[in-house]
Amino acid sequence: MHEELHLQLNAYLDGELHGRNLKAMQAHLAVCDICRNELDELRRLSELLQADPAAETIPAERFVSQLMLGLPRRIPGGPSRPHSALPGWLVPAGLLGTWCFIQTVFALTGVFTLADITGLLGRAALWLGTGQESIWFSAAVNLLGGKAFVTLPALSLLNNVSVFWANLFSGFLWQAGISVFYCAWLLIWWFRHSRRPAMLGNVS
Amino acid sequence: MVLTQTADTEIDLIEQAQNGDRNAYGELVRRHYQGVVRVVLRMCADPGLAEDAAQEAFTRAWLNLPSFEPRACLRNWLYRIAINAALDVLRRKPEESLTDEQGQMISENAPDPETILIEKEQAMDIQLALQSLPEAARSTLVLREYGGLSYQEIAGVLEVPVGTVMSRLNYARTRLREILMVSHARMENEYA
Repeated sequence: MHEELHLQLNAYLDGELHGRNLKAMQAHLAVCDICRNELDELRRLSELLQADPAAETIPAERFVSQLMLGLPRRIPGGPSRPHSALPGWLVPAGLLGTWCFIQTVFALTGVFTLADITGLLGRAALWLGTGQESIWFSAAVNLLGGKAFVTLPALSLLNNVSVFWANLFSGFLWQAGISVFYCAWLLIWWFRHSRRPAMLGNVS
Repeated sequence: MVLTQTADTEIDLIEQAQNGDRNAYGELVRRHYQGVVRVVLRMCADPGLAEDAAQEAFTRAWLNLPSFEPRACLRNWLYRIAINAALDVLRRKPEESLTDEQGQMISENAPDPETILIEKEQAMDIQLALQSLPEAARSTLVLREYGGLSYQEIAGVLEVPVGTVMSRLNYARTRLREILMVSHARMENEYA
């Protein structure tokens, strides 16, 4: 008899065939005497194994008492709950989230910049940095007055550079804060779901 | 701690045992003792060895319980530990043939001495046939026939694909039939 048919007969006997496979096997058994006999043999063997009386063992209560007496103390720091690997789907989800976040930031920046250029925001867009003056620049201009004529372009350049860096830093701080918040949320989620089914552990 | 045994679900008991509650663990052992003993007994074919294997299995399970996920199937996890413990106990024990004492798997309601003898020999033949199987095939067959596990569960316990479970079962049953057929013929000659 073909090996595959043998496997299928065993699976049929054990109730492991379903759907189309089950119907095909039933149809085959209806017409094949050899397979029917083989199935009967397998069934008889299974019944023989099941009927074989088990040897006497000690009663559960006595076993539990003996076990409890000899049960060792668990070593602190011994086998503990393993932190499961990061769920596979979390990586692409994280990447997708990051991509969405970056795209949103770029889109918003573009909108605000356009609105600022077109003057739609008026003075409301001062925080973007355009036309901003540092305190030190205002103080220097007031102090020097008309004498600042020569040094004004250089001071103005320095002012623009410092305003640019200040805005960049505050913008970065915002984004870093949101990123940290997002990562913290991911970590909390991961820790709370990290207790996976553990058929694992060094139990061999 | 006093256990309200009927009210405690298995998950509660597992969590209590994970936190070091020995009474809760005792209750879990009580619940799974029969199943584990049935499996190790068929693996070892010796009540003494089976008891050692069961003790070892439940001790290992206690030590590794903190790493067990309470929502997973405790029975399957215990069977896996029990199979490993039984194989370890067998490896430590020197090769011996089954003694008369070990072959005491007879029905108490046997009507006459001859039937007792036949049943006893049959039980010993089955045990010998099981013992002659390779460990992998025997573990698979024992988990199926005596543990009542599905193919999928056996695959999980033994960490093999379902296809391997199927071929191991097929091999084990074919081999058992061959061995038992020979011993049956021998018995027929003896009692003819």
